[in-house]
Amino acid sequence: MFHDVNLENPIGSVEGIYVAKPKKVENAGVVTSILLYMLENKKVDGVVTARKVKGILGKILLIKTRDELLNTVGNCWSVVPYTMKLKDMLTSSNLNKIAFVGLPCQAQFLRHMKTFPLVESDFANKIYVIISLFCMGTFITDGFVKLIREYKISPEDVKNIDIDKDYLVIIHSDGEIKVPVDIVLNHIQHGCLLCPDYTGVFADISAGRAITKKGTLLITRSKLGDNIIKKASEEGYIEVESASEDEITKLKEKALEKLKRAMDYTAKLL
Amino acid sequence: MPSILVLDLGGCEGCIASIMNSYPKLEKKYDLYISYLGNLNLDREFDFAIVSGPVSLVSSEKIDLLKKVRENSKILVAYGSCASVGGIFLYSKGQNCRFASIGKVVDIDYSIPGCPPASRTIINFLNCIEKKGGRFLELFKALTKYQKLSGFDLIDDVVLTGLCVGCGACTLSCPTEALQLVDGVPDLIVEKCIRCGTCIVRCPKFTQNILR
Ligand code: SF4
Ligand code: SF4
Ligand code: SF4
Repeated sequence: MFHDVNLENPIGSVEGIYVAKPKKVENAGVVTSILLYMLENKKVDGVVTARKVKGILGKILLIKTRDELLNTVGNCWSVVPYTMKLKDMLTSSNLNKIAFVGLPCQAQFLRHMKTFPLVESDFANKIYVIISLFCMGTFITDGFVKLIREYKISPEDVKNIDIDKDYLVIIHSDGEIKVPVDIVLNHIQHGCLLCPDYTGVFADISAGRAITKKGTLLITRSKLGDNIIKKASEEGYIEVESASEDEITKLKEKALEKLKRAMDYTAKLL
Repeated sequence: MPSILVLDLGGCEGCIASIMNSYPKLEKKYDLYISYLGNLNLDREFDFAIVSGPVSLVSSEKIDLLKKVRENSKILVAYGSCASVGGIFLYSKGQNCRFASIGKVVDIDYSIPGCPPASRTIINFLNCIEKKGGRFLELFKALTKYQKLSGFDLIDDVVLTGLCVGCGACTLSCPTEALQLVDGVPDLIVEKCIRCGTCIVRCPKFTQNILR
């Protein structure tokens, strides 16, 4: 059973919390390594994930091979929508066990579809595992691009984006800049300001950057998710250790921050 | 074993057919009363009544039947789009064609749209009831407040209010491809919308909103 966020527990139901590093393919990233484990060991026959196409924009792809997977680049910091084209790809393909990687809002939708297929055209039985990336909110792309241009950064050069208390840290090819959150807030989608879920509580596995050390934080929420992590580690795709108390406290703080923001904005905007 | 009445009030019976698909699993845990089994007996009490199809507002016979089912059942579930959110019947015109979701006539406990919901839905719903909870159960409860929900409401309440984040859950859910993302937000081809309500109950913004 997947539990919703609340003030006592802003990270939802938990089976295990780990900090992981990629092992088999050094520069692949932990989520990609887990996906690779599943593809190569035939746990899934396809992966649906976003690929960065240009700047902060992305595109959803259906991936079937190791090469395709290793060529995709992660985070886009914009919601990459599930389109009708994806539905066509899924229904016309003979793939039957698919791993979905998305944002918390998309994980919620996929879990709903998997548990309660409301129409025959739902592809519920193809959803094998749901992986959610942590999310503090996504940008209204045009406004955000204009903003970073003011800092003389081109969206193509953005390497990573992170929220650090009062600042948005944008890591780009030549260094990093810190933009005060107040300024950034204007460029975050309104729907995201109302969103209470940082980690993706409806996913089997949630993943995001670890806070106290280098690595990727993984939260498993189902037996299925937990087994995948354990097997991926046994098979040498990732290196896993249990997250420290400190790490979990900091994670909860960050999740709580988002939940409180959602509550504030819900009072303001609705 | 808990008893379940499954009744169609005048829809296409697609919902009943989909429930019948789950019959082998259901009969292990529940006593089922369905017209297909020839054992429909409305003069007894039920733990659950699963009602599909819209109620005709010009038929006192159907209205009375629905009220009787309400009286005789502990948990009444509006099952499928017609019973829960009106469905395609809301488009019908003419003096003798007034249809509504059943929540307009009686109090309901859960509202599950779908046209028709795939067989797995009824099983998972009953499992959730057994485990007493979960967000999706709360959602089906919260939906009882709505007598109509469709792509039109999605556009009005989520897109035009600026809450849409462009996740695409609605487009991917629509069985008729009535929704397309245009410039990152959904646009409705009105002629294609069968008012099944699937898009809006899958929309994370709508659900966060009604469950807050
Ligand atoms: S903040 Fe919430 S609604 Fe916005 S993209 Fe992230 S998960 Fe989706
Ligand atoms: S837009 Fe599609 S999913 Fe939404 S109510 Fe209409 S037919 Fe159903
Ligand atoms: S499901 Fe809701 S938030 Fe997502 S694209 Fe559709 S209207 Fe927008």
